[in-house]
Amino acid sequence: MELENHPTTDPPLPVEIDSRFAQGIVYKKSTGLYTVLAQDSWIRCEISSRLRKQLIYPIADPNSLRHVVREVKAIEHVDPVAVGDEVRFIDNGDGSGLIVEVLPRRTKLTRRTAVPMPGAHPFEQVIVANVDQVVPVFAAANPTPKWNMLDRYLVSAESLDLPSLICINKMDLVEKRNGKPGKPGGEELEEIVAEYRKIGYRVILVSAATGAGLPELRQALQGKISVFVGKSGVGKTSLLNAIQPELGLRVKEVSQATGKGKHTTTHLEMFPLDFEAGGAIVDTPGVREFGLWEIDAEDLALFFPEMHHYVGRCKFGLGCRHDGEPGCAIRRAVTSGAISPRRYKSMMMLQEEQ
Amino acid sequence: MRNQVLNTEFRCLHCHHVVPVDPCYSGVQNRNHCPYCLWSRHLDLARAGDRLSACKAPMRPIGLALKRVSKKYRDCTSGELMLIHQCEECGKLSINRIAADDFADRLFETYLGYNQLDAPIHQKLQAADILALQTADRAVVHARLFGVN
Repeated sequence: MELENHPTTDPPLPVEIDSRFAQGIVYKKSTGLYTVLAQDSWIRCEISSRLRKQLIYPIADPNSLRHVVREVKAIEHVDPVAVGDEVRFIDNGDGSGLIVEVLPRRTKLTRRTAVPMPGAHPFEQVIVANVDQVVPVFAAANPTPKWNMLDRYLVSAESLDLPSLICINKMDLVEKRNGKPGKPGGEELEEIVAEYRKIGYRVILVSAATGAGLPELRQALQGKISVFVGKSGVGKTSLLNAIQPELGLRVKEVSQATGKGKHTTTHLEMFPLDFEAGGAIVDTPGVREFGLWEIDAEDLALFFPEMHHYVGRCKFGLGCRHDGEPGCAIRRAVTSGAISPRRYKSMMMLQEEQ
Repeated sequence: MRNQVLNTEFRCLHCHHVVPVDPCYSGVQNRNHCPYCLWSRHLDLARAGDRLSACKAPMRPIGLALKRVSKKYRDCTSGELMLIHQCEECGKLSINRIAADDFADRLFETYLGYNQLDAPIHQKLQAADILALQTADRAVVHARLFGVN
C-alpha cells in the first residue's frame, strides 16, 4: 500500500465545527471504546474509521523515503486516542458517540512500544495526554525497587518538559525492616531519597496501608492532572484508593512466590479528584519495561538535571560520550562527588540502549 | 582493560585483543582484565561488579597476593592467588580474582616485576594492608601457576 503526498507529521485534518459535535475529555479506554466526560455526563464513544486511518497511516514507516506502509497489520499496534485527550465527537443522544477529532495535545507521556521479536519496528505509544505532572510510584520494598527504572521515568518526563513527583509507597515495610539488623532497606533508601532531593526532585514518602504521608501527597496532587506510573505491585491503585476511598478499586497482594505484582489493573483510566482545587489522577497498569522514545544517546545527559551544566564542558565538547574520553567534565564531577555514581551508571546504561 | 564492543566481549585498550566475557571461558562473573596482558580498567567503585566508577582509566597489574583465609589453623599460603591492580589515573588499588584463562607466564612476570616497582607503590600497598608476594614466595607462586616446584 502506498500513500502519496502524505507528510509524516501532519496534524489531523480539522473537522468543521458543527452543532452536532460535542467536546469532552477521554477518561478511560478499552479495546475500541473510549469513555468521554462531557458536561458532567459520561459518553461511550467509538472512533471514526476515517480518523483512525488519518492518524495511523502517516507513522507506519517513518524510515522510508517514500511514504510506504510496509505492513498494514502494524497499524493495529497504535491507538490514535490516548486517555486525557480532548476530543470532538458526535453525540448520538443515547449515551454513545463517535469521536471525529482529537484536539492538539498540550503535553504527552510516551514510551517505545515493546517489540514482539528482535529487529521488529517499535512505535511511539502515547500513555497519556495533557497531563501536568508525572508521578513515578515505587515501593520501598516488596517488590524491590529498581532505581534505574525511576531514572527512565524521570528522563522521559524531562525530555517532554513534564515535572515529576517521586512517590515512594510501602514505607511501613521499611520501618519493619529497620528493626531487623543486617537487612537492606532503610539506610539505602534514605541515601537514595536524599540523592533525588539534592538534584531538585520532590520526593514524597507514603504508606497506603497506614495513611502516613497521604496529606502531603494530596496537597501535591491538588488542581493538577497527574499520571501514576510504575511497575506492577508497587501500590499505584492502592494509593488512589487511599486518596479517594469511595473509588473502591480492585487491588491484590504481591505474589509471595515471585515477589512481583499480579497485574491487577489492566487498563488506563483517569479519575477526577474531589479536591477543592480539582485535579485528576491517571492510573496505569504496571509495566515491566519503559523504553525511551525519540531520545538520542548523545542528548541523554541533558535530561539528567545535575549533569546538564557539564554538557559541552568536556575536552571533546559536545562530541564527548562521557564514557572513557579524557577530560570528561561529567566523569570528573562524578569522581569529585558532585554527581551520584549510581545516576551516572543509569545514564550510561540508557546511552548503551539507545 | 576494556572498551565495550558487545555485551559478550570487549577489546583490550592496552594490547587490543578481543576478550570474551562469558564465565565459561574465564570462570569469573565480572571480567575486567585482559587475559593476555593482564591490564584492567577502573570500573568498580565499592564492590566487585558494581560498575559505579566513573574513573574508567586503565589499571596496571603490579603484583600478586594471596587471599587471606579465615580458618585459623590453615596453612597461610593456601589462600587463592589474586592479582593486584593500580589505577593509572587515580591510583586506586584493587585486588582481583585470577581468571582461568589468564596467561600463567604473564602472571609470573607480574610477580617478578613487583620488586622493580617504585617505593611509593610499596608504601601504598603497605598502607592499604595488602601483602604482595615477594621473592621468598617464588616456590608458592610457581607451584600455583605451573603445578610444579
